[in-house]
Amino acid sequence: MKFLRSVLPPLVVGVAAIAAWQLTVTLGRIAPFILPAPSAIWAELVEQKQNVWEAGLASGENALIGLVAGAILGVLAAMAASRFRPLAEVSIPFAAFVSALPIIALAPILNNMFEATSSIPRRLVAAIIVFFPVFLNTLRGLREVDPIHQELMHTYAASGWTFARKVRLPGALPYVFTGLRQASSLAVIAAVVAEYFGGLQDGLGSRITSAASFTAYPRAWAFVVGACLLGLAFYLTTLLLERLAMPWRTRLIS
Amino acid sequence: MTAVVVDNVTKVFNQGRSDEVTALSDVELTVGDGEFVSLIGPSGCGKSTLLRLVADLIQPTTGTVTVAGKSADKARRDQDYGIAFQQAGLFEWRTVLRNVELPLELRGLKKAERRAKAEEMLALVGLADFAGHYPAQLSGGMQQRVAIARALAVQPPLLLMDEPFGALDEMTRERLQTELLGICAKTGTSTVFVTHSISEAVFLSTKVVVMSARPGRITASIDVDLPARDEAARQSEKYFEHVTAVRQALRGVPAKSAT
Repeated sequence: MKFLRSVLPPLVVGVAAIAAWQLTVTLGRIAPFILPAPSAIWAELVEQKQNVWEAGLASGENALIGLVAGAILGVLAAMAASRFRPLAEVSIPFAAFVSALPIIALAPILNNMFEATSSIPRRLVAAIIVFFPVFLNTLRGLREVDPIHQELMHTYAASGWTFARKVRLPGALPYVFTGLRQASSLAVIAAVVAEYFGGLQDGLGSRITSAASFTAYPRAWAFVVGACLLGLAFYLTTLLLERLAMPWRTRLIS
Repeated sequence: MTAVVVDNVTKVFNQGRSDEVTALSDVELTVGDGEFVSLIGPSGCGKSTLLRLVADLIQPTTGTVTVAGKSADKARRDQDYGIAFQQAGLFEWRTVLRNVELPLELRGLKKAERRAKAEEMLALVGLADFAGHYPAQLSGGMQQRVAIARALAVQPPLLLMDEPFGALDEMTRERLQTELLGICAKTGTSTVFVTHSISEAVFLSTKVVVMSARPGRITASIDVDLPARDEAARQSEKYFEHVTAVRQALRGVPAKSAT
């Protein structure tokens, strides 16, 4: 019942929006190159499902590798910065500044640094974009330690490393996942958009540009839908991991 | 051997700065083995500071603190005391059982061994059924009991408590006081207990140490001997006599005549 009440309203709104879209396009006789009808996109999606799936896998692999690498680096860098205060003081404003830059703009430059068939540039862009939210959030979490926990560990004569492992890291987990949730969607966006700038043509991004350049707009939209689903899959997987990693929180909800 | 000897200790915070504060001045305190000593006084009298000196969370400016015949620093490293604060301070990502296991874990005990000991301690505070719960699922009183179980887990000869029942309601407080006395009697632990409740201090303690503020120092030390410490004792004449004596000492009336 509760599930139904939380799921039903967005579902109704979504269906209504698609219906309105369909009606506007068909009744308003809007040219398909401006906006194709949902039915046309759906038909294209069904027809191209093998291609969408394969392109999604290619982009997904890039996004995943970028996400994992960027997240690991982000957590490690945050640990280092929380351990050495001067490092944090230098890196926080720096990281905040760099994360405000359009890192995606690096894609064409990185493409030129590697050979044309390399997937590395796209993965690099994803990793760089993922790094900052994970780094900043984790660092905040690592710095916020309950003073009582600190004193308790002192009375247990715990070493710095034990303290980090048993208190700082688990205490920072909620923050890490806040960062990862942002990063998971960003990784997909980065991996897809990076393909717009050349490089290996096997992912969703390159399929969208090539379909659009052939004026096959419904097909382009079908790949856009594929990109949406990919981003959603990443986000939901992160949510699931968050629940699994922090059972003390899910038990609270249930 | 005496559990705690505080010898001529002075503690000055922010020494040499404009906001210098003398938290404790010329404090002498002895806690014998198996004794239950309460520190009571107005806020700012340095009772928590004194407890933290014993715990080696801070160091005295002058004077020495000896715990279990060693320096406070050595005693801390040997985990010769267990400590509990006003907030339970449980680790919310660990189950109740694993919270109690933590000090044992840091001592390097084997898994089976520390599990058995933690279960024993949870049974002692009446929470054996909640071993698998997370702290957030427990009430404040239950969390505090877990914190006490954790403090007792290494079976320390000394228990340090800083207003452990301060945040609890009166009913829970009185129940936990009785439980604590039972535990201390069973384990033979010496205790230093910071409180600002006169009735709590008298009911629990064999000795109540009265402190005054600015600068923090000990103004009276009142021995409490009650024939029994049960619910009836809370109503006894002797109990109220001691309550009066402590109250007068807190107000600065010479205490010796009252006892």
